[in-house]
Amino acid sequence: MNSNGPVELPLYALFLLLGGLGGLWLLSALTVGRQARRSAAAGDESERDWSVPTLDSEGRGTSPFHRWDLRIKIVSLFLFILCLSGLSQLQTASLALIVGFGSIAVARLPLRRSLRRISAMAAFLGMFLVVMPLTAPVKAGDTVIVFEHLHWLTFNVRGFHLAVVISVKACAIALLVEPLIATAPFSSSVQAMARLGLPETICQMLLLAHRYIYVFQHEAQRMHRGMRVRGFRKRFDLETLRILGNFLGMLLVRSFERTQRVHDAMLCRGYDGRLMWTTAFRATGMDWVKGVSLVAGGIGLLVLDRFWF
Amino acid sequence: MHISDGVLPTPVTLAGFAASFAIAAWSVRKTDPDQLPKVAVVTSAFFVASLIHVPMGPTSVHLLLPGLVGILLGNAAFISITLGIVLQSFLFQFGGITAIGANAFMMGAPALTAGWVFRLLKGATLGRHMVAAAFAGGGCVVLAVSILAALLYAGGEDFLGVAKIAILAHLPVIGIESAVAAFTVSFLYKVKPDLLGLDAIPPSP
Repeated sequence: MNSNGPVELPLYALFLLLGGLGGLWLLSALTVGRQARRSAAAGDESERDWSVPTLDSEGRGTSPFHRWDLRIKIVSLFLFILCLSGLSQLQTASLALIVGFGSIAVARLPLRRSLRRISAMAAFLGMFLVVMPLTAPVKAGDTVIVFEHLHWLTFNVRGFHLAVVISVKACAIALLVEPLIATAPFSSSVQAMARLGLPETICQMLLLAHRYIYVFQHEAQRMHRGMRVRGFRKRFDLETLRILGNFLGMLLVRSFERTQRVHDAMLCRGYDGRLMWTTAFRATGMDWVKGVSLVAGGIGLLVLDRFWF
Repeated sequence: MHISDGVLPTPVTLAGFAASFAIAAWSVRKTDPDQLPKVAVVTSAFFVASLIHVPMGPTSVHLLLPGLVGILLGNAAFISITLGIVLQSFLFQFGGITAIGANAFMMGAPALTAGWVFRLLKGATLGRHMVAAAFAGGGCVVLAVSILAALLYAGGEDFLGVAKIAILAHLPVIGIESAVAAFTVSFLYKVKPDLLGLDAIPPSP
């Protein structure tokens, strides 16, 4: 490709590009909308505010990820993810993406949950994909595309490449999060983190906070339903914010009162600052083989990334 | 807005973890051990509250609420926000696993500041409380967005454009957050004023 001077494209190419992007957006909006309609049992559009997925619904299984010793699984997958986040080439990032899809298949997890994670990042990554090509400073050797009649609109291919690499890496890592967290009961994962040196108080707080999300979600849902019955509709005005402020205040008052009752109940059951851990850990040779090979693979990818391409 | 995986350079990722770990340890030490389980339970309430979407023109934004966390929890705010960030990352992929340190610092440090500012300004009347809350809630977002922009810019000058857009996108959020913080504090002032005292959570009998 000629890297000297901008490549000029006719104006209709820009319209084609915009049309294609618009089509993609429409398609994804339609899919997400259909999914939302299918999942919203009540058919109430405002209920989407309160949907919190279950973290470990696939916690029991017999895949290599499920049978892996949790401590080794967490450490090696985290190190692998850290290696992936340091990649800078499209080739190695794509390899990582394949590894991500492979792990989902090996762990026999539903792909839908991972796609949901990717769609959660869509807005953030979309910002990179749109903004970076237009704003990355042009350096010597960069290929720049301009459109006729619109010479102020410069599309830097290097910036686009950078944004694509970031997005591919982010998707690859997001795919690995499900095998990391969803392949064991959450309490066991937290216990493994405690055994790995995370302070026990923090682990307890993590478990408690996770547990009570679902309680307060239920509470907030009930309050919100009551507000709707009384005619509240969210609008773009100060009154909506005032009502939401009152709603939040009420939620907080109730939650602070509940924490007191929860704490009293814990004390009644003999809570003395420690939790009873129930999972026993036993690492076998196979666990170590999996862990070491995964970390070696991660380092290998990094080396490939730096010295090969 | 939460930073996803793969954006930050490795040194920034590691520095984020180090900074957040240090401040979280400080935050835990500054909090009465008996109160920590309660902080965890309140964290879930804030987590649920942050799922609320506020309409903004044709689109909608979700509440962030770091200012309110700071106002209500004081020094414990940082550990609360860190837990929230970890759970958001685990549950939704809002913010990447490798960016947990950076994201916790980005939201937690402004929350601590907001708590201090609120305590300085709140005075004794309802009006003063609301002004202080609006200032703390809005200022908190300003601080958080500045840290976000700085973290993005740490990736090199290629990221300058993205950092600018991120700041622009948050300008309306500043208004929404300061209004919601003021209204929430006004509600609490009338309904349960002891929550706004120095000891957000009353000690166990």
